[in-house]
Parts: sequence; C-alpha cells; structure tokens
Amino acid sequence: MVFLRLVRTIKVAALVAAVLLHGPLFAAQMESAHDLMSKMAKASRELNYQGLFTYEYRGNLTSVKLTHAVQDGQIYERIQHMDGAQRHALHRSDKVDCLRTGDMLLRGSAYRLNDQSYARLEDFYEFHIKGQGRIANRQVVMVHVLPKDKHRYGYVVAIDKESGLLLQSVLMSHTGKPLERFQFVDISIGGSLADLGFDLEASDFADVALDQSNCIDGNRQITTSAPNWSTQWLPPGFVMASHKIADGDGQESMMFTDGLAVFSVFIDIDKGRSLPAIDANLGATVAVLTKADINNQEYAICVVGEIPRATANQIANAISLAPPASPSMSPLP
Amino acid sequence: MSDHKERLEQSLSALMDGEATDIELHRLLKEVSEDSELRDKWKRYHMVSSAIKGDAAIASIDYSAAISAAIDEEPAHRQSGLAVFAGSAGRFAIAASVALVAVFGVQQLNSPLDSIAPVSEFAGVEQVNEENTGPAIQFPSGFQPIINARTVSAGGNNKSSQFVTPVIEVRQKAERNYSEAQLRAYMNDVMAKHSNHAALNSNQGMLPFARLNEAEAAAKKE
Repeated sequence: MVFLRLVRTIKVAALVAAVLLHGPLFAAQMESAHDLMSKMAKASRELNYQGLFTYEYRGNLTSVKLTHAVQDGQIYERIQHMDGAQRHALHRSDKVDCLRTGDMLLRGSAYRLNDQSYARLEDFYEFHIKGQGRIANRQVVMVHVLPKDKHRYGYVVAIDKESGLLLQSVLMSHTGKPLERFQFVDISIGGSLADLGFDLEASDFADVALDQSNCIDGNRQITTSAPNWSTQWLPPGFVMASHKIADGDGQESMMFTDGLAVFSVFIDIDKGRSLPAIDANLGATVAVLTKADINNQEYAICVVGEIPRATANQIANAISLAPPASPSMSPLP
Repeated sequence: MSDHKERLEQSLSALMDGEATDIELHRLLKEVSEDSELRDKWKRYHMVSSAIKGDAAIASIDYSAAISAAIDEEPAHRQSGLAVFAGSAGRFAIAASVALVAVFGVQQLNSPLDSIAPVSEFAGVEQVNEENTGPAIQFPSGFQPIINARTVSAGGNNKSSQFVTPVIEVRQKAERNYSEAQLRAYMNDVMAKHSNHAALNSNQGMLPFARLNEAEAAAKKE
C-alpha cells in the first residue's frame, strides 16, 4: 500500500516536471511555426518547381501535375490533370512581388479593421510544430494549424524543410476528421522555364489574360470595399480581399479571407427569381444560396467556401443592401 | 434517421469485411435485436458472403425466433432483479474502465511528439452536423485523434464517374421554375469562380484548382 502510494507520488511528480519543462520549449515552437508559415507563403510563389500531387476528398482521388515558374517577374503555371478526361489549364500571374491580402495576413501583418480591432492570423489559429516526416521523398516539418473558434477549419500541413514549399495540406473538420487532402508524391525544385517545358507553350501563354487585381500597393494600403452591399456579420478575422462589380449577367462578387480560409459571396440580380434556396457541397467546399427580397427586387446571395456550413449560413443571412460607410482596412506599420 | 441507418449499414459491411470496431459491433448487436430490416440485411449479407466463399448449404430458415423462445422458456435465463442489478453494475465497471483507457489513450496521442495520427485516415468523411450552437470547439494541443484508423468506405457517390458533382439540396420546394441543369450550371460556375479567387488570394497555392472537377473546368473555359 505504501509502495503504491509512493509510485503514485513519483508519477505525479514526473507529470508536473514534464509539464514545467515543456512550457518554454513550447513558446519557442510557436514562433518558429509561424515563421515556417510565412516562409511557405513566399516559397510557393517565388520558386520554380514541378511535381505531381494527389487531391482526395470523399473517397475520390485525382492526380495533378503542376509546373510553376517565375521569369521576368511573372508567374507561369500549368495545371494538368493526370486522370479522367484530358484537360489542363495555364495561368499567368502578374508581378511576383504582388502581394495580396491573404499573403499579408499569412506573413504576419495585421489589418486595422476599425479603431478598436485588428485582424491577425495568430488571433484565430494556433500553430503547433508536430515533429518531422517525409513527403514526396523530402524531409518535412509537420505543423498543426488549429482554429480558435468554430467558424473555420484547421489544417495539418507538411512544409518542406529545405525550400519551405507546402507539400501536404489536410483540411480537418472540428471533430478531427479529414475533409480533403492535398499531397505531393513527387516534386523537383529548380530548373528554368525551358527545363520545365514552358517554352513550348509560349504562344498559348500569350492568350492567357494577366490577372492583376487587388495587389497591395506601395504604401501598404488596400482599399477593397463593396459599396453596394454590407456584411452585417462576418466571422471574426475575415477581411474582404477582392470585389468585382456586377458583370454582364448581373453577378457581383466579393471574396474574404482570414489568411488561410477563403470564402466568396456571389450576388445575382437576375437569377434571384429563377433559383431556389439551396445547400450544396463538393468535397470540403460548401455553398449556401439564400434569396433576399429587397425593394421588390429578388436577389440570390450565394456564399461559397471551405468553411463550416453553419458559418456560411450565418454569413449569407447577414448580407444586406446599402451600407453604412464601409471600414477602410490598412496594415499596421 | 436515415443517416443513422446508413451508418449502421456501413458498420455492417465493415463487419463483413472484418473491419468493424468494437463500438460498431456493439451498436450493431444492439440494433439488430430490434430492427428486423437490419436483421434481414445481416442474414442476406452472410448468405452472399458464404456463397462467394463457396460454402455449401446456405440455410434461409430463421431459427432465431424459435431459439429465443426456447431460451425464454428456460427458468435459468429468466432474469431476477438482483441479476439485473449485478449485470448493470458490471457493465458500469466495464464502461468506467474503458473510459479510463480512453483518457489515457487520448493523453498519449495528444502528447506533443505524437505521430500524425489523424492524417492517416482517408479524407472521405462527410461533415456531420457541425452545428454552430455549441461552445467554440477547443483543441488544446492537437486535433482529437481518431483512434480507429479504418478507412472510410467511399460511400455511394462515386458509382460510375470519377468526379463528383456537387451535392445539391433544395431547401424550399415551393414553385419550381428552374431546371436541374440550370441549378448545376450555376453551382459549377460559382464554385469555379470561387476556386479562382481562392487560388489568387489565399496561400493554398494550386490547391484550389485541384478542387475543380470536370464540369467546373468546362464552365471555366466559357
């Protein structure tokens, strides 16, 4: 009996010691996990690489060959699906130094939402380094990204030790179940445009329109707002990253991000009459379409994103016409 | 309700594959005693399985009713009040010890150097009722581990095609002045646009493009 009690005391002491010893270690980890994330944001944009990755959701698996290169400050990207029907897509992006809202947030800048509140990635996610591993035959650091509230999902990501590239990303539900998984199986880093086979497609690329929307300009100000609409409720931490005015079909769109998660809001004037209210989902992406009757005009408001359905619902129901003056957002110095 | 039933059927097929967990088996045994439909399914599955294995003599006679009647006749199996109490106390003890093991297990898996347990599971799970009503979900030091790492069967959505089109539910079925094709076109269109947005503005790099399915890729070309 005495012996048992002694054993128990030793166990408790060991546990306390373990917790105490672990504390400072943990704080150091937090910082470097965040450094890793911002290194990742830079690497995936600025490096040349070619690789095969798989994307899996709801028991489906597709494989994709990706080529990414930077030359003369422009980003060239080719996405080729390796199974199913033949299809590939080319992308040509603007200046490599064009930062967008998502980049800013991930790189640790905060946005001033209004006089009192700031949006900063660390306020909404915890970052934990969870050891090392091997993905696509490369050494990686595993990072768990945990949401601090119920309005966004978490991730398990693997970041290449050497280059900082994202080699695996698993979107995790609140119950800890994987919703989708993206993972490289093979990747080679480096190489010129010619090595990567882009020279063969030079003429194809000429046809691809440059995307130049919503760069954050020199004085680090972003002036994204949608003057016609107001969002009465947004999940905390999300800021508007782009806005497109109504196109020929009468569809207006806005996009919001917290630095990791992204959702879009589409507002259709013409389709309001013809579409029913629907809930849809595809893999981890949910879509909630609600209808709003404003000034005898029926609008279809659709929220699409990799966010929990309840959050999407809440956003969709909180969008209304005609605004109070929208808050301007600017990064902190 | 149907969700529950579907899960039971999945558990049953997992059991047939020898992959059911203890919890699933327990639930199945409980349900099968009350649900005649499930019992029939159970019987059918076993018949199919033994037919596949080439076992002879597939009996299609249900002895279960007769056997349970016979058991009821036996005085030894009539439950006394004390036996019921003892039985439930025993069950409680087992439950308590299972809970204890679960607590220890979770602590172990949650320790900072844990292996990346949840990632080994297939990303095949539907999101289940993540209602916004409860308190914010807290993960103190890691995702809650999935202790059983059985791969989730692919479900009924990839019957023939490799690509899954969005699952669309119409909330109010009042007047129907839309066509399904119209609905699908709209959904594909907004999801494709969203992927484009996300690729440009998030740090998921090329991931949003992978989310595009065939139909969406077609919609994008327009």
